[in-house]
Amino acid sequence: MINIPATIRISLRALRVNKMRSALTMLGIIIGVSAVITMLAVGTGARQRIGEQMASIGSNLLMVLPGSTTSGGVRMGAGTQPTLSTGDADAIQKECLSVMYVAPVLSGVAQVIYGNQNWSTGITGTTTNMLYVRDWPLSAGRPFTDEEMRSASKVCLLGQTVVDNLFGGINPIGQIIRIKNVPFTVIGVLDAKGQDPGGHDQDDTVYVPVTTAQKKLFGTAFPGMVRIIMVKAKSADDLASAEKEIAELLRQRHHTGQKQDDDFTVRNLTQMMQAAEQSTKVMTLLLGAIASVSLLVGGIGIMNIMLVSVTERTREIGIRMAIGAKTWDIRLQFIIEALTLSMIGGVVGIIIGISSSEVVSLIFEWPTVISPVSIILSFGFSGFVGIFFGFYPAYKASLLDPIEALRYE
Amino acid sequence: MALIETQNINKIYSLGDVEVNALKDVSLTIEKGEFIAIMGPSGSGKSTFMNVLGCLDKPTSGIYLLEGIDVAHMNRDELAAIRNKKLGFVFQGFNLLPRTSAMENVELPMLYDGLPAGERKEKAMAAMAVVGLAGREDHHPNQLSGGQQQRVAIARALVNNAPIILADEPTGNLDTKTSIEIMELFVRLNEESHITIILVTHEKDIAEFSRRRIFFRDGVVVSDELSGKA
Ligand SMILES: Nc1ncnc2c1ncn2[C@@H]1O[C@H](COP(=O)(O)OP(=O)(O)O)[C@@H](O)[C@H]1O
Ligand SMILES: [Mg+2]
Repeated sequence: MINIPATIRISLRALRVNKMRSALTMLGIIIGVSAVITMLAVGTGARQRIGEQMASIGSNLLMVLPGSTTSGGVRMGAGTQPTLSTGDADAIQKECLSVMYVAPVLSGVAQVIYGNQNWSTGITGTTTNMLYVRDWPLSAGRPFTDEEMRSASKVCLLGQTVVDNLFGGINPIGQIIRIKNVPFTVIGVLDAKGQDPGGHDQDDTVYVPVTTAQKKLFGTAFPGMVRIIMVKAKSADDLASAEKEIAELLRQRHHTGQKQDDDFTVRNLTQMMQAAEQSTKVMTLLLGAIASVSLLVGGIGIMNIMLVSVTERTREIGIRMAIGAKTWDIRLQFIIEALTLSMIGGVVGIIIGISSSEVVSLIFEWPTVISPVSIILSFGFSGFVGIFFGFYPAYKASLLDPIEALRYE
Repeated sequence: MALIETQNINKIYSLGDVEVNALKDVSLTIEKGEFIAIMGPSGSGKSTFMNVLGCLDKPTSGIYLLEGIDVAHMNRDELAAIRNKKLGFVFQGFNLLPRTSAMENVELPMLYDGLPAGERKEKAMAAMAVVGLAGREDHHPNQLSGGQQQRVAIARALVNNAPIILADEPTGNLDTKTSIEIMELFVRLNEESHITIILVTHEKDIAEFSRRRIFFRDGVVVSDELSGKA
């Protein structure tokens, strides 16, 4: 009969006798586990941040950009030619079946003044649909009315950053601000959204009707021109067909010939974001895998020390066998020793891993997320390492011949 | 039924092409309560015989019956259980676990017998008292004299109420005075508790304490005599 609590006590005593050696052996596991915890925390943090930013951009998004036209053999960059119009946006909304919402954008940077406060920010001329495209609710006030859109009214919606910088504690609704010296009435405030994946503050913006932007703020030689058309597809599955429908429609509307290049570009934002998320996922796994190697090395360290220990304690094993220790009494004694080393190492490693994740997020301002899964995993894995690498030395010990073991000096 | 019965036991060690016949047709019967000294020159097979009796080694041929049971077909763990319950070992070099208190050394056989902690403690204390070491339970082997260490080893051999104690040169590392004390302890255990004691020695004075002397030479039992000492 195997007496587990007593065997555990025997193992613990053996570890206590050789404190320094036990500590050094644990070090390998401690480093391995804390590395795994920290790496997973850093990777998961990055992924979570990207995920949040993705959600803040809005889902199922396509972006139509003008340009990439050939001008005398020189290909211009996307967006350099004024080839998109409010008409294109309306046509996409009407004719493309996979499309849910369309919002044209004509934007520019301008100084915004309220009283004696001023603030330079991005002005976005768009439609109310933009709020649906971006899944962006208002925290106060109301969106543009159809009448305001049609008549190019001087009304605006403010991002939270602009509100904070211009108004301090005052309620901005109903106040008059001046954009490029044109007075606008504030009718609403956009909900705070935070940074986009590029690190830009999305709340540092002012929305005005696109018609107003065209006529009063950023008027050009091309009436009705817009810089970007934002499109929200009906679902993630509809993104590809929406992309195709838009391209076909625009080629038709722009009278693009068979052999001519498109004078617009459709970008799948969701896809780009997913690619970014995928790459952080790969990075997390890679970091985790590298860290796991150190855990493996720690395990080999345990096996090494346990083998030395079995040899050193050959006589002790002989005595135990003579007195009546059975095969599994001996095996368990050494397995529990190895397990104790690796589990204590694992717990210390988890504590150090959590602390160093905190340090990383403090010093590098990098979000780290300690998932319970990574803790359970590390704990389980260090236990596994102990049993796995402890088994062979324990097996060897249990096969010793008692007479020879007793004679061992 | 005899406590121990051996019939034509042979033990042959093969060292390459050389064969050492360490035991040759050893047939002996040992009854419960005997006190036996096994004697003989160095290399005559005394330890080999003790190892066979102790179920630490198996004879090459022959039959060994312990309490009428043939141990030849038992596996490692069954033999370990026999050693645990039927046999107590006392070695020349004491063979206590270092850095482990006397108490815990004595508890060891009960640990492998699966006794609960309370009972272990109680019995170990009693065994320590029997060998005259009450109060030294917490001492470690390196804090005890040779004679005291051997007493701890005897307590460990006693503690599972084994009917047989096997002692291979138990006084080999002790001075004369201490040797006599240890032998007196064996005599007391034999007389008061009727424990069968089989010990190896090459000293006549030590053998004097026994009641039966078996002489080995070149693996053969050359004489087996009872002494008049009561
Ligand atoms: N493990 C072994 N391998 C080979 N020969 C051995 C072994 N053990 C004992 N012998 C031989 O068997 C003979 C008896 O040894 P042993 O029983 O130890 O003698 P004793 O205890 O009487 O001095 C000796 O010749 C010894 O060399
Ligand atoms: Mg010998």
